[in-house]
Amino acid sequence: MLSIIMLRLQRLKVEYYVFLVMTLMSLIFTFIFGATQNQDYTPTILVVDEDNSDYSKKVFSELQDNNAFKYSISEYDDAVKKVQDDKAAAALVINKGLQENIENNQKPVLGIIKTKENIDTMTLENIISSITSKMVGNIRIASITADFINQEKNIDHNKIFNEAYNKAVETWKYKKPIEISSTRLVEGNGTGYDNLTHSIIGFALFFSMYTIVFAIGEILNEKKYNTWNRILVSPISKNAILGGNLIVSFLVGFVQVGILFIAGKYLFGLNLGSNLLGVIIVLIAFVFTITSMGLFLSGLVKTHSQLAALTPVILTSTSMLGGCMWPLDIVENKIILALSNITPQKWAIEGIESIAMYGKGINGVIIPTLVLLGMGLLFFSTGVKLVKSE
Amino acid sequence: MALLEVNNLKKYFKEVKAVDGISFKVERGEVFGLLGPNGAGKSTTISMISTLFKPNEGDIKYKNVSIIDNPSAIQQKLGVVPQEIALYPTLSGYENLKFWGHAYGLRGKELSNRIEEVSEIIGIKDRLKDKIEKYSGGMKRRINIGAALLHNPEILIMDEPTVGIDPQSRNHILDTVLELNKKGMTIIYTSHYMEEVEYLCTRVSIMDKGNIIASGTQEELLEIVKGKKKINLRFDKISDNLIDRINSIDYIENVDVHDDEIILTTQNGEDIFKDLIAKSSETENSILSIDIKKPNLEAVFLHLTGRALRD
Ligand SMILES: Nc1ncnc2c1ncn2[C@@H]1O[C@H](COP(=O)(O)OP(=O)(O)OP(=O)(O)O)[C@@H](O)[C@H]1O
Ligand SMILES: [Mg+2]
Repeated sequence: MLSIIMLRLQRLKVEYYVFLVMTLMSLIFTFIFGATQNQDYTPTILVVDEDNSDYSKKVFSELQDNNAFKYSISEYDDAVKKVQDDKAAAALVINKGLQENIENNQKPVLGIIKTKENIDTMTLENIISSITSKMVGNIRIASITADFINQEKNIDHNKIFNEAYNKAVETWKYKKPIEISSTRLVEGNGTGYDNLTHSIIGFALFFSMYTIVFAIGEILNEKKYNTWNRILVSPISKNAILGGNLIVSFLVGFVQVGILFIAGKYLFGLNLGSNLLGVIIVLIAFVFTITSMGLFLSGLVKTHSQLAALTPVILTSTSMLGGCMWPLDIVENKIILALSNITPQKWAIEGIESIAMYGKGINGVIIPTLVLLGMGLLFFSTGVKLVKSE
Repeated sequence: MALLEVNNLKKYFKEVKAVDGISFKVERGEVFGLLGPNGAGKSTTISMISTLFKPNEGDIKYKNVSIIDNPSAIQQKLGVVPQEIALYPTLSGYENLKFWGHAYGLRGKELSNRIEEVSEIIGIKDRLKDKIEKYSGGMKRRINIGAALLHNPEILIMDEPTVGIDPQSRNHILDTVLELNKKGMTIIYTSHYMEEVEYLCTRVSIMDKGNIIASGTQEELLEIVKGKKKINLRFDKISDNLIDRINSIDYIENVDVHDDEIILTTQNGEDIFKDLIAKSSETENSILSIDIKKPNLEAVFLHLTGRALRD
């Protein structure tokens, strides 16, 4: 096995370009999809303060600490119009009675005016949730009413608002209040959803998968070079070939992810939260799963060029499903959400983001790690069978 | 006790009987030849001896111990030169040799010494730093052989090691084989070049369609065609009429047409000139040359199968 490991490391000197290309691609994509949204274009959020109290002012100043958006105070009617005309991403309505509610230990009601659900509104909801939950202290769940305003023109905005408001208050009174994000927001002390962080993580995982799959796919080149058979007639066993290749591919993959995260930190200011160990555990599980998946794919095809044709299709589709390109929270289709559970990417992202964004501890990564290891073992055992039977 | 003993070996690929019950022995210190045309089953036989394939039937014994269920008994003792180049093209010749030496357990100083010695033997020392993909066909073949020599194997198996290379590299390889053998290495050599086998081998098995059709020393094999002559005829042009007339000479056993040449095997040589000239004068073709050859292994194959070894 040592022979194989040394051989693979030696061959890496020649095959480093996959590694380089994937590193560059990942950084470029992160820059395009993650950075631009935060740096070149900052969406505006209008704030309608109907309460005009100390608390509502505090909400506003807290908002301004968060630089995901520009905030400006607006009148209600004006806000509705601007949101409708796409001049603002959304508007936050601080309803009358915020101070009263907070002082009486009741849940505060905040409204969001939006025309569509997208990353911006989701981010806003997360930000508001964490601000209010911070403010209300002993009230465990902060709730927000989400209004939906049609894009039709001739609408009495006041009426819509009143209806929506009343409906929201009703919901809040009689049913479970609408929770904007799940309890993890309240539990931890994370910064909440952040698009840049998500892009760095998503693209780092996505492009690392290529490096890993192509690294393990080198096994197919052994067949092309006829060296596979030649090794088999030497004292080196099949298990040693597989073992050596798996170990090297795993290491290469891990280094690739590591470099991308470190680059993310220095180029884009990625903050992985306080529990680095948890992140590393998820990454180890993820790289193992993808290495095994690569072995499985290598077993399915005959040649390295077939693998090169198959890999982008599989990696891109599962990465879209699994939320590498955009957060799964904006996906509403139930089938897609259900399918996302069978992609390793979803679990890796969930595990890492639970620490990086939502401030969870090691507990947050246990389930994702176990799921990843389970998938990895499944791929591993079928992959070994397929490759060996060749 | 033979060093290697093959008994009733069979290997079928679905319908194809690649090897169909062959037996032979290889003695210590000899150059044993497997001669046969394309598809005879030579490589399949080699693959089974080198533990790559398990036979469907039969046994292979190395020093009287079966290797079928215990492949590691022989792996370290064998050096295998595969028919296809089996090297890492993006690595240098040196790196390739180093890997294969390492694979057979060589380390450190011993390994680098052996790389030195082997590159001397295969005559490729000055290009060792270059990548294999930059080598010529002949140089690749040499490294391909060198990779099997590092651990100084007891038995060297060479599967058509000279296919597709220039005469100079080919001669170098043949002489290397003889040299290795002189130093005590047992060699199994497969080829469809009769001349190579004649040049190298002490004993030969001739294979055809999965079977061994004759075995023995070269002298023993030539006994089969004793008294026969092989005659190469060249005419200005060859017509069907001419071939029919030559075929009508009753003591001629075989007529084979190769491009502009007619090759005959015959029992009787006395009247052949007279008869050939008479027959050809009945046609519009005229003889350019008559060349009588001593019978060789090619003639043995032709005699046994009615076909030429190549083409
Ligand atoms: N892996 C395989 N699968 C199916 N058929 C095979 C396989 N290997 C060899 N054969 C068949 O077995 C027969 C013998 O092939 P083999 O390669 O042993 O011949 P050979 O004597 O080495 O020929 P050559 O001189 O062309 O190398 C051929 O008909 C070939 O097509
Ligand atoms: Mg062959």
